[in-house]
Amino acid sequence: MRVALAEDGALFREGLLMLLRAAGHEIVGAVGGGDELVALLATEQADVAILDIRMPPEPDGGLTTAERLRASHPTMGLLFLSHYAETHYLMRILDIGTESIGYRLKEKVGSVDVLTDTLNRIHDGEIVIEPVLAKRLVERPRGDKKDVVASLSEREMDVLRLMAEGRSNNGIAAQLFVTPKAVEKHIANIFGKLGLHTDTSEHHRRVLAVLTYLRSQRTEV
Amino acid sequence: MTPAPPRHDGERSPNGLVLGDLDSLPGPRPAALLPEIPPSAAGTTTATVPTIGDKPPGLPDESLNELMSESSELPSSPEESMGAALRRREASQWVRRRLLERQLHDGASLRISALALRLGLLRYQSPHDEEDWQNRIAELQDELHSVLQELRAVSAQIYPPLLDQAGLGPALRELADQSAAEVEIIAGTDRFGPVAEGAAYFAVAECLAAQPADRRPVLRVTVERTGQYLLLTAVGVGAEQVGLMLDQAHPLGGTVNLFEGDTPDSGTITVRIPCE
Repeated sequence: MRVALAEDGALFREGLLMLLRAAGHEIVGAVGGGDELVALLATEQADVAILDIRMPPEPDGGLTTAERLRASHPTMGLLFLSHYAETHYLMRILDIGTESIGYRLKEKVGSVDVLTDTLNRIHDGEIVIEPVLAKRLVERPRGDKKDVVASLSEREMDVLRLMAEGRSNNGIAAQLFVTPKAVEKHIANIFGKLGLHTDTSEHHRRVLAVLTYLRSQRTEV
Repeated sequence: MTPAPPRHDGERSPNGLVLGDLDSLPGPRPAALLPEIPPSAAGTTTATVPTIGDKPPGLPDESLNELMSESSELPSSPEESMGAALRRREASQWVRRRLLERQLHDGASLRISALALRLGLLRYQSPHDEEDWQNRIAELQDELHSVLQELRAVSAQIYPPLLDQAGLGPALRELADQSAAEVEIIAGTDRFGPVAEGAAYFAVAECLAAQPADRRPVLRVTVERTGQYLLLTAVGVGAEQVGLMLDQAHPLGGTVNLFEGDTPDSGTITVRIPCE
């Protein structure tokens, strides 16, 4: 896969480059800021751009750069890496796009397998959300959602957590060692209990519905 | 109940206490501004309350209780009381530093030391097979994630990165998500500068830390700008939260108002902090 990287921390950038090369990916360029990445991608083609959230242009150059890239290269995947897994950033990322997009903690992509899986899923059009964050969202839903989520069975909670990670039905089935048909049944039950009526056949809409449900509170400006 | 505009002149408030009326503090002797109001008027009067110890989360509430008791009786020797309160606050700053140091030592530092030992051990123990080797590396990476999580927790207690990057609204919402109590945050995208935002954030953080998990009604916190002030309004709080708010607002020349509700935890506190 052709990958472009923008990260202002030289140590982490070099480490990630080594890992990407070890995983067999082609590096089309590695730069220290958002403006440089935009300039690079004006001439180079990449399948996925990896962006640090907190980099120049300050304060969160990764996000503003991604908005520009999504406009100029709509089919290119975007992977955000951060030192923090915050729901605030997740929501901003989902404003940029809900397809071919990912958000992961820097230390959690530290193996060839995880890095390649993350890049592949993004390249395939999925949303990839840091499992640490997905788990927190599911285990600590906002306000009046707590009681509803508490009514889910243990297996339904497993499925909800994997859905919040952005996994497809097949991905969830593989993680839980069950058939995709069983996953579909669990998802129908979950959506019934949560009172969600979104078209569950569209993967990214389903993920978005679940995340929005978990995050919404009664009053927000 | 609609809170009246905060006051700066030390006059009587018609529907609540005006506390920490310190806008015009001339210097390090704010007790000189204490109005002379008889104790019998407590609850409906204007009073300037000395600041209390800056209580780190998890520490006993003794200093807070002590202060609240002092403030309701309006001390006979206000200067001495203010001096003691300032000393308590200073002392608690050092307690807070010590706690953070201990957290770094007992948490991240020890984990990293243990990791160094485990890496040393790995050198002398050949793995049984490829899977065993992979598992050991994965364990070490998990451990590194735990170290980073602990460092993030310490960072958040010094100055939350999200507050710096995204402002009070997102930082308070994240805080509310982590709170056992049900909290609603109403805040726009306005920025107030790192000092006022830090004070407002930690005022709410300490207030939430003191909330029981099963409290009702929902605590509602609003953040807005009124001129050169950041106005923080907390609805659904008790009088005991005033001291925590004062701790943050007072050193910056801010004011804290309490409007008592029908029940002990249905009051409204407004905090005004000078801002950028």
